[in-house]
Amino acid sequence: MSPSPSSPSSLSRRTFLTVTGAVGAAALTACSELTPGASSSDKSSTGPVSTAIPADEKITLVVADADDTTMTPGLIAAFRKKHPNITVKRNYTGWDDYLKSINTTMSADSAPDIAQFTSGMQNLVPGRLLLKVGEYGKAYGWAKKFPGLDQITLTPDGKTVGTGHLYGVGAGLSFEGVYYNKSKAQKLGLTVPPATLEELEALFAKAKAAGETALVAGNLDGGLNHAFNVLLSAHLTPKDREAWAYGHQSATIVLPEAEKAAETLKRWVDEGYVTPKVNGVSDNDATAAFAKGDGVFRISGNWAAAAVAEGLGEGAGYFNMPPVTSGGKVRTTGAGVYYCVSSKSKNAAAAAAFLDFTAGAEAAAITAKAGFMAPDAGAMPSQSGLLGDVQKGWQAVVKDAGLQPFIQNSSSPTMADTLTTQLQLLAGGKTTTEKFLAGLQTDFENYHK
Amino acid sequence: MTTADRLTDPAPAAGAQSPVQLAADSSVRKQPRPARSGRRRRRAVALLYLLPALLPYTLFAVLPLLHTAYLSLFDWDGVTLPSFVGLDNYGRIATDPQLRAAAWHAGALILFFSVLPICLGLVSAAIVSRRAGRRGTTLVRTVLFLPQVIPLVAVGILWRWVYAEDGTLNQALRAIGLGGLTDAWLGSFTWALPAVGLIGSWVVSGLCMVLFLSGTQRIDPEIYEAARMDGAGPVREFTAITVPLLRPEFAVALSITVIAALSSFDLIYITTGGGPGNSTVVPGILIYRLAFGGGAVGVASALAIVLTVVISLAVLVINRLSREAP
Repeated sequence: MSPSPSSPSSLSRRTFLTVTGAVGAAALTACSELTPGASSSDKSSTGPVSTAIPADEKITLVVADADDTTMTPGLIAAFRKKHPNITVKRNYTGWDDYLKSINTTMSADSAPDIAQFTSGMQNLVPGRLLLKVGEYGKAYGWAKKFPGLDQITLTPDGKTVGTGHLYGVGAGLSFEGVYYNKSKAQKLGLTVPPATLEELEALFAKAKAAGETALVAGNLDGGLNHAFNVLLSAHLTPKDREAWAYGHQSATIVLPEAEKAAETLKRWVDEGYVTPKVNGVSDNDATAAFAKGDGVFRISGNWAAAAVAEGLGEGAGYFNMPPVTSGGKVRTTGAGVYYCVSSKSKNAAAAAAFLDFTAGAEAAAITAKAGFMAPDAGAMPSQSGLLGDVQKGWQAVVKDAGLQPFIQNSSSPTMADTLTTQLQLLAGGKTTTEKFLAGLQTDFENYHK
Repeated sequence: MTTADRLTDPAPAAGAQSPVQLAADSSVRKQPRPARSGRRRRRAVALLYLLPALLPYTLFAVLPLLHTAYLSLFDWDGVTLPSFVGLDNYGRIATDPQLRAAAWHAGALILFFSVLPICLGLVSAAIVSRRAGRRGTTLVRTVLFLPQVIPLVAVGILWRWVYAEDGTLNQALRAIGLGGLTDAWLGSFTWALPAVGLIGSWVVSGLCMVLFLSGTQRIDPEIYEAARMDGAGPVREFTAITVPLLRPEFAVALSITVIAALSSFDLIYITTGGGPGNSTVVPGILIYRLAFGGGAVGVASALAIVLTVVISLAVLVINRLSREAP
């Protein structure tokens, strides 16, 4: 089988190397597509827009999201029913993987038309990969339809939230508060809701004295951030809080009020109010344990309501995080499922129609059923039991305009990891509250230098 | 070139023609040259045979590696225009305290991924091979090798349950009256790293055993017989014959497990994510965090290149040491 070396068809080593080299060079050229910043031409601005979508044209929209509730699929199904000519394909990815891959996904030529906006996606703004939807917003009147649009309004460098251009809408909102086990609270003689943070802590002490885990938490994946975020909401002035979370220039978290929040959390751990060995329990397992009847209180978001209601039934209760001083305004931490549009989308008008659809009354029922707060709070079907309590809590938050962003969502892309690390150090007694806050500030400054 | 040489060896028939050529050309050229050109041609043919393997390897391993090296010279968030920073990223790596911790952890993992599994694999291989043919050995072999075929993500989830506060391990401790020793293992600053390391030992030991088993089958049974005639017991047999003669298998096992230890990522990502604090952070986790979450693709690439170089050096050293005569 081996070809004769003298045959003219045989390859010399030089030819071989030449061929390999050529193939390699060709491959490298192909790779130059991958070289940094190969793309760019500003397609992120829209020209004149209209709210009409062609009804006779077949349109396909791709939606990428990490929403593990029934909201996104429900909204898609309802939207398709209303617009039979629009096919909507859904690309669901788990939260962690979504966070880490979405920048690459949105940079690809095959980017989805609509994507759930998450932390880290700020980088897409200077990359001009997100469509500025402000014009659509004006045409549809989104400012009146959606609360909390400032959370998805960004400066051109993507580093500061709250000012600049609008990049999407918040279809379903979530917020955090305190769940409690009604039957245990009754048995222990705990009066809820507490009027101040101090009173809440007194309830913790009482529960602890009765041999209960007062505050069920899990910090294996940084779940104590829920408690820390709401404590910050209560202690910090909204201005300081938002400046930091939104990444404003020269904002800082090294403040006496933040110190108080961190001290409170550390005290809760040190006094034994929090689940023992909290660093070894995952956040999901903590919710599951609480729903099974472990402990008395749990600070978490409305996304946990369904699981808690199912587990504790009639025995599940909810109240908003109390303020520092009695009668103070309700302030808590929350976010939303925000949808944004790719600047590469060929069907931006249809995509904007979907965004608008999420504000409607029809959407509100779907959103509420999934456990989120609908943009149109009035259109949410009234619910009883725990979900009803949560809904009432939401109305109080909206009334006081008390919804504030998670500090790890927009302050810097690495803040989620840093906060997890620092909270584990704090709960493990490996750091002081000063160093804890300084650690967060260092991450902030590395990004906003 | 060793592979190429080996490939050409079985084709002496092709080479047999060259003397004819040589005679014809000798009037014009000096003798050695045409001889070399014949060998050259044979080599070229051998390279042609290698092409199908070389091409995908170049495309999917070499070029991405070069591309990573190229990216490591930029400050790039993965989306917007990058700026060229030369070797700055490497400088950042050298001074990063988190990275120093990660390097230590990777070193500690060698203990759990290499040293422990090789010892365990050696002992279990010795026991299994001595009992070859008896009932149950196949079963034992299969059970010991089983962790190797389970995807690491599944392994991680499985062991999260084992190590949980009310998990299997703590239940067992309580059952034998050692309830005071229980801990949330993966959340403990002291125990998280050893706990994760032991998962690695559990996974890799079976592979080491199978490697050593195949090695013991290569050893001439007569050597064992001779030893037995001289009155050696099983332990003496093990230390005097099995261990020294398994040198090549040691090299393979050590290479594979050291690579696994230094490049570990999935197990740690699933079980602790690098926590608590930074107590189980390894280079792989840092690369992932930097590149995909932190928008620091340049630094991540630089770190990946450094890790690749370190691993290559480690494997090189292992192979050098194992090649020397005892």
